[in-house]
Amino acid sequence: MCRFLRFSIFLVGLLGAVGSYAGNATQPLVTADDLGPHVDQPIDFPHDRHAGDAAKGGMEINCMYCHTYARRSIVAGIPPLQKCIGCHQSIDSVRETPRIKQLFEYWEGSADGKIAARTPVPWKKVHDLPDFVRFSHERHVQRFVFQQDKPAQEVCAYCHGDVKTMTVARRSKSLSMGWCVSCHEKDHLVDASSINTSNGPNDCWQCHK
Amino acid sequence: MIDNNFNRRDFLKVLGWGGTAVALSACGNTSVEDGRELVTSYSEPADYVIPGIGVYFNSTCAQCDAGCSIMGRVREGRVLKLEGNPDSAINRGKLCGLGQAGVQAHYNPDRLREPLLRTGDQGEAITWDKALELINTKLGGVQGEQIAFLTGGISGHVGVLLKNYLAALGSTNHFAYEAVSPSVVRAANKKAYGVEMPRLRLDKARVIVSFGADFLGAWVSPVHFSQQYAQFRKDSNGGRGVLVQIESKMTLTGANADRWLAIRPGTEGILALGLINALGTAGLKVAADAAAAAKNYTTERVSKDTGISVEQINKLAALLKERTPSLVIAGSAAEGYAHGSHNAAAIALLNQVLGNVGQTVEFPASVPFPQIAPIPGNSYALHALNDDMAQGKVKVLFNFGANPVFTAPASMKLQENLSKVPFKVAFAHYLDETALQADLVLPLDSALEDWATAVPEYMAEGAQLNIQQPLMDKLHPGTRGMGDILLALLKQRRPEEYKGYEDFYAYLRNALVQNKAALGGTGKDDDTFWTETLSNGLVKLSVKLPETQGKLSGKASAAGLILPAPAAENSAYPLHLIPAVSASMRDGRHANQPWLQESPDPLTTIVWDSWVEIHPQTAKKLGITEGDIVEVTSRSGSVKAQAYLFPGIHPDAISIPLGYGHEAMGRYAKDVGVNAFKILDTVLDKETGELAMHETRVKVSKTGQRVIIVKDEGAVGGKQMGKKIAVRVSSDKIDLSGEV
Repeated sequence: MCRFLRFSIFLVGLLGAVGSYAGNATQPLVTADDLGPHVDQPIDFPHDRHAGDAAKGGMEINCMYCHTYARRSIVAGIPPLQKCIGCHQSIDSVRETPRIKQLFEYWEGSADGKIAARTPVPWKKVHDLPDFVRFSHERHVQRFVFQQDKPAQEVCAYCHGDVKTMTVARRSKSLSMGWCVSCHEKDHLVDASSINTSNGPNDCWQCHK
Repeated sequence: MIDNNFNRRDFLKVLGWGGTAVALSACGNTSVEDGRELVTSYSEPADYVIPGIGVYFNSTCAQCDAGCSIMGRVREGRVLKLEGNPDSAINRGKLCGLGQAGVQAHYNPDRLREPLLRTGDQGEAITWDKALELINTKLGGVQGEQIAFLTGGISGHVGVLLKNYLAALGSTNHFAYEAVSPSVVRAANKKAYGVEMPRLRLDKARVIVSFGADFLGAWVSPVHFSQQYAQFRKDSNGGRGVLVQIESKMTLTGANADRWLAIRPGTEGILALGLINALGTAGLKVAADAAAAAKNYTTERVSKDTGISVEQINKLAALLKERTPSLVIAGSAAEGYAHGSHNAAAIALLNQVLGNVGQTVEFPASVPFPQIAPIPGNSYALHALNDDMAQGKVKVLFNFGANPVFTAPASMKLQENLSKVPFKVAFAHYLDETALQADLVLPLDSALEDWATAVPEYMAEGAQLNIQQPLMDKLHPGTRGMGDILLALLKQRRPEEYKGYEDFYAYLRNALVQNKAALGGTGKDDDTFWTETLSNGLVKLSVKLPETQGKLSGKASAAGLILPAPAAENSAYPLHLIPAVSASMRDGRHANQPWLQESPDPLTTIVWDSWVEIHPQTAKKLGITEGDIVEVTSRSGSVKAQAYLFPGIHPDAISIPLGYGHEAMGRYAKDVGVNAFKILDTVLDKETGELAMHETRVKVSKTGQRVIIVKDEGAVGGKQMGKKIAVRVSSDKIDLSGEV
């Protein structure tokens, strides 16, 4: 009885293993050059218009103006609806464009009553690490933007790609552990004025707490 | 308990190989998920809100009646963890395991979510309007005295509304019931000191003799006492304090004691008088009446009655005489007998003889608003209600915070009597045993969603009024706070009086702001006072009592003290049953919080099940080994549970923990263990009418089945892997001359 039970549980484990391998095999192998899938958002937010180069019609707004929590918290946070409206209520030139009309529906409520006033926009998460990974935006932004004095646009792009050229953001790095480590192994300047360098931490618990 | 035909080693082997295989197959892939989850922003966030960073809000723990103040860490609108609030004199920033599990009461998957109306055996979901209207209809044509309200211990403004509602209905039938409460000790204290709950100064005592009071585990205000105990153990008042615990079954406090003495069940009072006699002999000045009462309790006789050696008694008396001030505490083990009041009175008398009244037993602070003062629960209340129901006097019964169908002994026939009540309303968090019997079940907000005030019965230092406030939005839109429900019911009866209050929050704010002068808010505007009060989570009151009132009466006397001889041998039921109150399970109201089931019992390390503690000698006589399923039979019924051999129990007694064995309530509580309440005999304390919890006699027999006990193994009962890591010596083998 005992031996039979042991064998059958082993078989179940083996089947599970084969199954999970087969399941993985159907997914596209993600490399650093590959883009993540297109994610449909409730509003096609134009990152290029807000953050893009002036020469290409962008406003060159600093990433941290809207993603204001990135330097203070582990999450970058989506800007509160209030922030969008704060500017756009004074920008009459685009007030009647489809996307801005859609935005104001979330603030004032839609005419058909389907969206109540002050409803946050249900954005979809584009960069979603597994729950066992703890990534701190604060740590990285403080290090690269404030200590090394690099432009936010460049620093954010390390992981998020060239968002200032995108409309709706799309993942462009693999965000796998090997990819994280490849950067943690590099020598980085300690701060802007220093000639000393250090690596990113390589302890397991730094990310897996 | 698990059956042992597939052992742990094999299980781990298979798990290891299978797990490795699965893990290997998954290498090389990330599990980054794009576009699956929503990331919702705030629409208009408060200034202090930063996603990912926790904010702490103060409130009050509702897991037991000790009234510890808590701080809840809230992140992204969800409460994640509870800590103690350092500003409270009761818990000073600490919190026990039971309190920590409060988040599981809140997020519990088995919480009720909508009002349920009984149709046959089913509960039909109805709206709140309909439910409240139904109560109104059912109350029509019923006389006030036919309406009864059963609650647990209650205090604060919910208590005020409850009393007002009963008054509006013309009823005086408020029954405050707690299955496990120190009510006999309360009554004895009232007689001896003039107050029910004097302030105990463990920190000032140089020796503590506790008669079965588990003050570090589950007795009255354990977090507070633990901190006092730490002071007591330090050198602050001339040397480390000595704790002697006298009880028939070892509690957590007993396990921490310098000396643990196993006493024959029920003879605690005899030992107390014996100590008075021995102290008198040793030259301590003893009042004439106490000396007369103790005269016949010679050390030899007391030793014979209690089973504690003459040497130990003399040593104990010498210890008490030498180290002053001392403190003697009567706990649940002393009060749980038909002569429990007399046991407690004898112990209070010992305190008085030792001159502790006014020294380590102090006059307590109290809140100067009698209407919000705590109404502590007792078990007499349930007996009174049960009698009323049996006689058909109750037509409408409200139940809030009590689960008598689970906690009443089977011999009370409570469920049968309950069925004689035509309309029963239960305000409940879970569909527990009592809610299952109700006709209308109204779902309550969790303690982390609801508004309330609480006045602790045991005041630690100065008087304080605790604020309980929501730490987050409601999880389920269909639940309501008890205050809100009572207010809605009161509006049916006294619309003119209560129409000004939109909800209980408005009522509470008004009640506190109106009295802000008495609550330390003199000179502050209303908004500032209210915001500060909520921010602090408690109001400390400085009340100066007149000299005559601020003193304990110190009237403990030997008058009327009658201690029966030790219980006679009973050949049919040879053993005493000690229902154990554990620090996490208590009376079982929180059994559906899995952390409490999962945290090992401190003495036996058993999890997720009941057990029968039995002395190795007794077990040997009965041929029982660890893991045998034994049947424990009393005159009132029987239960079957796994036997656990434990040297920390008197050979004449066995012990089963309370709180297990739910038949309903939820997925984590149901069918886990057995319910020891059910087999208790209905023997009452002769003076107070309280259920004498320790009076039940039982017999134990083997069923022939065996299990492997699920436990971490314990240092006390454990074999310590055959190595003598912590060596034990039984108390009669110690050379007392070398002791403290």
